[in-house]
Order: sequence, then structure tokens, then C-alpha cells
Amino acid sequence: MPTCSRSNQSAAIVALVILAIASGCRPERVASPGADAEAAHALKATLVSASSGAGAAAPAAATGTGWGSLTGRFVFAGAPGTPKPLIADKDTEVCSKAGMKLLDRSLLVDPSSKGLANVVVFARKTARVKEASPPSTPLVFDQKQCEFLSPVFAARVGQPIDVKNSDPIGHNTNISGSDFNQLIPAGGATTYAPKAETGMPTMVTCNVHPWMKAYMVFRKDGYVAVSAADGSFTIADLPAGEPLEFQVWHERSTGPNGALGLDKPDLKWTPKGRFQITLQPDEVKDIGTLDVPASAIGT
Amino acid sequence: MTFETMHRRTSLAFTGLIVCLAALTGCGKTPPAYFRPNMVEATKQRLTPDQEKQVATILLAMFGTPDEPVCLPETGLDEAKLRLAAGPVRSDIVGRKNGLYREHCAHCHGVTGDALGPTAAFLNPYPRDYRPGVFKFKSTERADKPTHADLVRVLHNGIPGTSMPSFALLPVAQVEALAEYVKYLSMRGETELALMRAYFELDDDAQGKLPETREFLVDETLATVADKWKAAADAEIPVPPMPADIDLVASIAKGKELFYGDKANCVKCHGVTGLGDGQANDYDDWNKAIVEIGKELSSGAAAAREASTSGMSPEELSEHRAQLAWLDKFGKVLDGDALEPRTIPPRNLRHGIYRGGRRPIDLYYRIHAGINGAPMPAAKGTVPPEDIWHIVNYVRSLPYELDGELGADKPMLARDRF
Repeated sequence: MPTCSRSNQSAAIVALVILAIASGCRPERVASPGADAEAAHALKATLVSASSGAGAAAPAAATGTGWGSLTGRFVFAGAPGTPKPLIADKDTEVCSKAGMKLLDRSLLVDPSSKGLANVVVFARKTARVKEASPPSTPLVFDQKQCEFLSPVFAARVGQPIDVKNSDPIGHNTNISGSDFNQLIPAGGATTYAPKAETGMPTMVTCNVHPWMKAYMVFRKDGYVAVSAADGSFTIADLPAGEPLEFQVWHERSTGPNGALGLDKPDLKWTPKGRFQITLQPDEVKDIGTLDVPASAIGT
Repeated sequence: MTFETMHRRTSLAFTGLIVCLAALTGCGKTPPAYFRPNMVEATKQRLTPDQEKQVATILLAMFGTPDEPVCLPETGLDEAKLRLAAGPVRSDIVGRKNGLYREHCAHCHGVTGDALGPTAAFLNPYPRDYRPGVFKFKSTERADKPTHADLVRVLHNGIPGTSMPSFALLPVAQVEALAEYVKYLSMRGETELALMRAYFELDDDAQGKLPETREFLVDETLATVADKWKAAADAEIPVPPMPADIDLVASIAKGKELFYGDKANCVKCHGVTGLGDGQANDYDDWNKAIVEIGKELSSGAAAAREASTSGMSPEELSEHRAQLAWLDKFGKVLDGDALEPRTIPPRNLRHGIYRGGRRPIDLYYRIHAGINGAPMPAAKGTVPPEDIWHIVNYVRSLPYELDGELGADKPMLARDRF
């Protein structure tokens, strides 16, 4: 038979437990302003109306003629530091052959020219495209010694990509947010034609070797460039005579969704990593050296 | 105090307990259920309170509330079915059970379908979050939506090896209503994600406000989501039947060769023993999203800690403060609106437990298309259909394989293992 003090104690414990459960061990959730019921009611009428209404915006009218090019060079204005080695602990006989260490490639700065590689620049919207259809010659996206050979890879929607594996071991290539996550057998290849635009670049991984990482960007008009080892980039055959807005991205950028915001008032460079330019026919517009401050790049 | 009898103290504690309980359970009415916004995405996209309000308003107009669901014709959903599944548990005027989702699903999957129901944190694997619109077990290609029949099959069979039970005892009409409601929550969640992400894509002259036109909201946003669901009906993977006269012993031997070979490479993740002990420190897409945000937050916090404010201009200082406030808010949002990320172990193939169904064709679908949202890649394109059938046969033989030679851990019968 339990004594009184025992049952007293257990009642107290039960009470405490119930209190703890009821008051919630979960942290309080961050509040969000709720919907505006009246506005929603009015909006619903718009949504169910049969006609699309006058709001249907016509596609941007083609105003210009001819074609121009845009070129420039990204330079890192800080000290890049030494890249960290990656933890490559699988298939070491291939992945870290002869003590070779795989290094983090998220910030590649050319030691002599300070050029910043792997910055993506693409046109946000264009009214005209010089080549109506994507090229049929395939691009090659290869992986060797457990590393994607292109850390940042750009392609036009519909353009075939030969996804290759030059290793004697199997990989898989997983393009996040796409329909593609395929086995690539040792020494094998498969072809993929991207079906949709990515917006900002999307991550590519190999799930067998989780340290393997790259980025891909697909654009419908193909007006996209990735800066080279010396930081330079060129986008050719852009439509001239119309205001163009470009989006700039870097993997380690501190801006929203990787947008690279620079202090460039002459180009109307915004914190969303966008700048504007209008090209003249046959012009090769050089926007010069673009200094990327250390503060724009995260750790 | 010293003169109180034991009896009095006990009854006092008991009364106190009852008062506590009454106070906590509340004598008032429960507030109406509401759809919780996707706070992780809202914070990731740095939405302002006005923008959060606009998204909530648009979603209210498009999808209604958990008690009063509505759907636009573009969704292709059946509102009558939704009404059977939605709302609090009750009987309607003709005695039909209503509120099926909250009776059977919401405690794990959450009222919003965000997999943040009260029991979610205690389950392994976590329940499915419908909002990204990604489903694993289906008869369609990797990026396609499941067919209606796929959802019904999961409800009917449950998911063996997980906390998802079978609802085979429910009447067909109720299972149909629940499958429709899952689609509804998924479309709503995916539309919400699209709207929240659309702020970043806005031109600067839009002043941070989404256009409230039918063209943008319905034709561009909602229809893009709904059309993928409609397309799934005709997207079933065509499967060449396994040859009827197949030599099963030879097929299993061929499947074993492929399993360990460089072409199909199953061994890398599922392990030399087939116990799922190969590559095991990866995440699925739902957990990986939280892991990536966690990395971003910790690197942002590290940078903010190092920054010195002494040399900053007033604008830089206010930017710095905004960044600190954002990091702080994001930490709190993750505490309340995300669960601790977990790695996804590759399936132990010696259990004989197949989450996506145990029919040979279910295994064929998994190998052919991979598993959406999970690391499992597709074998199509590099492994021809007849070889996929060999792998299916080998995998189906694994729980019964007696004479394992590979690996230190000798395979044995599944029932002897556990």
C-alpha cells in the first residue's frame, strides 16, 4: 500500500508533468501578420472572373535592332585565404589518390590578377534572341577524381549536356529542383537537356560522395556567362537598343539567394545583384573592372 | 503547516491538480484552425510583414481556410471532396463523418500539411511535408507528381517501416476525400512557396508588391502548380513486363552482379551486406533545406560577430543591425517551425520491408526513376529495363539469401536478425 506522502508526491509529479506538457516544451513560434479578409474577398472576385482582363501585359515590344556584347572582369578586393580541404572519406583509392587533397572551390581567386572566377551573369529578360533555337552541339559536364570539373556550369534550356563520369567508380549526378538525378556508371555518360530555367543557379551534388558540389544555371535565351579564372566574362549577341537588366550571382555572396550586390551607382547596381545597360548595335560594351569587396562574400 | 494531516495535504494537491487542468484545458472555445505561413521560406526570402500579409491574403482568396476550403477551377480539385475532409471532426446533416483530415492526419502532418503536427517531432522518419509538392512513392518519373491512384495506394497500404498506418478500413469515399485534400494542401503549399519566391524576381519598380492580377496569380502561378498535378494522370512510367519464362535463378545471379557492379552501383549506398550501411550521412531534400539554412545562419552569425561597428557609416550600421535582427529572427523561426534535421539511411534490403510497396513493379519504379526528394538516383538511361528486372529479382531475394560471402557481416534471414 502506498503511503500518503508517496501519493502526495506522485500527485505533485503528475501535476508538474501535465503542466510541462500543457505549457508546451515547444518554443514559442514567431508571429506573422494574418490575411486581410476583406482584401481577400475582393481579390477572389478578380481571380474567378472569366476574362484575364486588361491586366494581360503584352510581351515587351522589341524596340531595337542589331546586336551587341557585354564584357567585364570581377576582381576580389580582399584576402581570399587558403581554401579548406574537403572531407573525402569514401573511395579513397580514387578520390584522394597519392595523397591529393580535394579543396573547397567556393571562392576561387587568381593569385596574380586577383580575378574572381565562377561569378554568374545573366540577362533577366530579353525581347529578342539572335539564335532562335538552342545549339544542338552538346556541352560536357564531367567528373574526375570525385570532383565536378565545372564548379559552375551554364547552359541554354534545351541544349544537350553530356553528363560524363571519367572515374573508374560510379557516381550519380543530382541537379536539385530538376527532374535529373541519374546514375552515371564508371566511364559512362548520359545526355540531359534542361527543360526549364533555374532562376538563380541550382546546386548539383553526388549523393555517393557528399562533398562533391557544383552549380548549374539554365537560361531560355542562353544569355548567361560564368567568369573565367581571371575573373573576366563576355556575353555576346545581346539585343541592342533595349534596356537590359542583368543578374549577378556568386556561390558565397551574402546577398539574398546568392545575389552579388556591388557599389556601382553608374550601372544602377542594386542590393539584389542587378544592373542595367542599353547596348548600341555592334557595340562591345566593357564595364571594366568590378571590385568585389570582402564584405560581399560570406564565410 | 506542521499540523496539517497527510490526508489534507493529499486532497489539497488533488484539488490543485484539477484547478490546474481546468485552467489549462480552458473553459473557453478553441480558436479556429488556421493555415500557418511557411515561416522558414518567408524568413529566408527576407519578406517584410506587409509581404507576409499579402501572401496570406492571396492564399486566403485562392484556397480559403482549414474550415472553409475553396478551390478555383484551375486546380481541377473537387470541392465537395475537400469539404468532407476539411474542418473540425463532426457529422453533417445527413450523418456523414466530416473533418477526416483532422481526425486521421493532422496530428502528424499538421493542419497546414507542413509536417509540424504535435506528434511529428517524435516520429522517425518525420511525416511528409506536402508543401514542396514532392512525393516519393509513385508510378511516375522522378520530377512528376504522383497519380491519384498512387496517393490512394499509400493511404490504403500505409508505409511499412514508418509511422504511416494503413487506412484500408475507411470507406472508399473517405480515402478519396483524403487523397484529394492532400493534393489541395500540396497545391496550396507549392503556390505559397512560388509567391514567396516571386518577391525576389520582382522588378524594382514593383516596390516589393506582387501584382494582384488574375494573369499573374492564376495563369502564371497557380496553373503552373496545378498543371503538373493534372499531367500526372497520363504520366505513368511504361514498364515492359518481366519475361514470363524468365529463369529466376539466373536472373537473381545477374541482378547480384549488377547490384555490386559499377553500372548500377547499388552497393555504394545499400552496402556490401545490403543492410543499408554504405553511404549513410546524406540528407533528403526536406532535411537538407534546413541543414543548408543552418550553415548559412552560422556563417552569417560568425561574420556578424567579427564585424567591428566603429568604422561604419550610418547606412552600414543600420544594415548591420538589420542583419543581426534577421539572424536572430531566423534562429527563432527554425526553433518553432522546423525539426532537427536527420540523415536518411539507405534502405536495409534484408528486412523485406518496402516502403513504397512490395509488388515487383513498385521496386521497378523505384529503381527506374529513383526516389524524388531522396538521394536514390534513377537507373533509367544507363540500365536497360531487362537489367532493372534482374535487380528487382535480386533485391526481392535478399531477405532470404542464406549464403552471403560478402562483407564481414554475414547476411541471414530477416526474421533471425530482428
